[in-house]
Amino acid sequence: MYIVELDNINKNYEELHVLKDINIKFKKGTSIALVGPTGSGKTVLLRLIDLLEKPSSGTVYFEDVDANESNSRCLKIRRHIGMVFQKPIAFRTSVYDNIAYGLRVRRKTENMDKKIKEMLKVIGLEGYDNRNALKLSGGETQRLALARAMVTDPELLLLDEPTANLDPISTTKMEELITKINREFETTVIMTTHDLTQGQKLADRMVILSKGRICQTGTPKEIFRKPKNKFVADFIGIENLMTGEVETDENSLVSIKTDSIRIFTLTEKRGTVNFSIRPDEITISLEKINTSARNTIKGEVQEIIDTGSLIKLVVNAGELFTVFITRESLRELDISIKTSVWLYFKASAVHVF
Amino acid sequence: MNEIIGAIEQAIYLIVTFDPEVVETTIRSLYISLIATFIASLITIPIGGLIYYHDFYGKRTIINLIQTLYSMPTVLVGLFLFLFISHQGPFGFLNLLFTPTGMIIGQTLLIIPILVGFTITALVGVSIQTKELAISLGASTSQTIITIIKEARYAIMSAVILGFGRAISEVGLALLIGGNIRGFTRIFTTAIALETAKGNIELSIALGIILLSIALIVNLLLNYLQGRE
Repeated sequence: MYIVELDNINKNYEELHVLKDINIKFKKGTSIALVGPTGSGKTVLLRLIDLLEKPSSGTVYFEDVDANESNSRCLKIRRHIGMVFQKPIAFRTSVYDNIAYGLRVRRKTENMDKKIKEMLKVIGLEGYDNRNALKLSGGETQRLALARAMVTDPELLLLDEPTANLDPISTTKMEELITKINREFETTVIMTTHDLTQGQKLADRMVILSKGRICQTGTPKEIFRKPKNKFVADFIGIENLMTGEVETDENSLVSIKTDSIRIFTLTEKRGTVNFSIRPDEITISLEKINTSARNTIKGEVQEIIDTGSLIKLVVNAGELFTVFITRESLRELDISIKTSVWLYFKASAVHVF
Repeated sequence: MNEIIGAIEQAIYLIVTFDPEVVETTIRSLYISLIATFIASLITIPIGGLIYYHDFYGKRTIINLIQTLYSMPTVLVGLFLFLFISHQGPFGFLNLLFTPTGMIIGQTLLIIPILVGFTITALVGVSIQTKELAISLGASTSQTIITIIKEARYAIMSAVILGFGRAISEVGLALLIGGNIRGFTRIFTTAIALETAKGNIELSIALGIILLSIALIVNLLLNYLQGRE
């Protein structure tokens, strides 16, 4: 069952194409992160779903009905959706009246007092009822905004960069709340974020946007393991990203030739391709050893970076490779700058796209 | 010079002894202008809300027109109304000419542009985010407008007070429509004009002092409200 479907959506502001050919369906009960750099169109996408803006072409379906058909339908559907904007704001009144707003406009004021008290408890602002909402801190206002949207028990919760303006502690609190809402209240959550790790942490599925187009959708695992194109790979900060030409030899072994090295792989693709090797798939040794790994490359350590838990080595083997080793291994292998090392990885560890 | 000082002394005497003529004129002036301001607010705040909320062709022109009417000479409003309610006019049968009711209508018409214009300005001062917040929380059009008006309440009150200030201090319309009938339609401004012409400086100064005091109170109120913003 899909809660929202965007069918062939385009959105222009005069000459500016903000969204292009958006086709996507959102499953009920899931949590989805729209991820992309600033200006990729994720906020506009969220506003289209909240029916605050109308698409220039295409249709927004909410539970299989055309949501923008009439103003009254817009209002009716919007009352099933909760939205939290990126910049948290409050009405010029008390915390209580802020949270009560959605219930009052819906004329659903039975048990209002109890619901609001519960919400205040959930967001950790118990006893704040009569406080002036304008005097809350940024983090508190953001949580107030979440409570204000959640008190109406929406089927769909939209969050625009829910933690962009928060300090680390407030961010953690907010992330816990979002997970709780999705798991416990079974509310469908669509959120935008420019923070990949947040998307990975909070979402069942991620949608990567760039320049108004959807680049890739999938589970966080799929996206991190198999980025579909160079933009996604760059954006998710994938290591060991290279470009080369696919070649096949008489034994039908497939390899990719870059300007300086040849790497064996398994791919159906031909021509110029991008490929990446996850650093944790690469092993390292000082002497050449026999392994089942198809790729064996010699290089020289160029940089040693302490990332805290692990040591990041940059090895120049014609191309630059990033490899992570433990602090212990660094000591045992006695690696320093300019040490010669061998790198090993399987043909299946090479992701071609 | 001594004459002026003497007149001021006399004026203060008239005020502190609650001279019947002074008291009566004060009450009538306040009554007419307060009612006019109240009616004008009832009309203009919703209209301002509607103009603010909806984007339509010619919106800018309408707002410009309203702003032009801010400085409409009061006698012109008086003349306009006079043509309608004089005995030969289309509403002559209502017998509104030279009555307090006629003056209330006149003052209402006079301050409507200022109130509509300043209401719109006040509402525009509320961020677009607040408007979208209301909409996204499920408010209908009318609920959204009411919310925005509530958000802009202090600025709107300032507009209302400004309107009251213009109503109570005008003289042309009150003369034309009210006729300055003693004990019936005589208010501050018309009384000052007449008494000064008659040489009754003390009464004029007394009324002037009260009018100025009202202006002062109005200003203090305005300052207070703007401080709350």
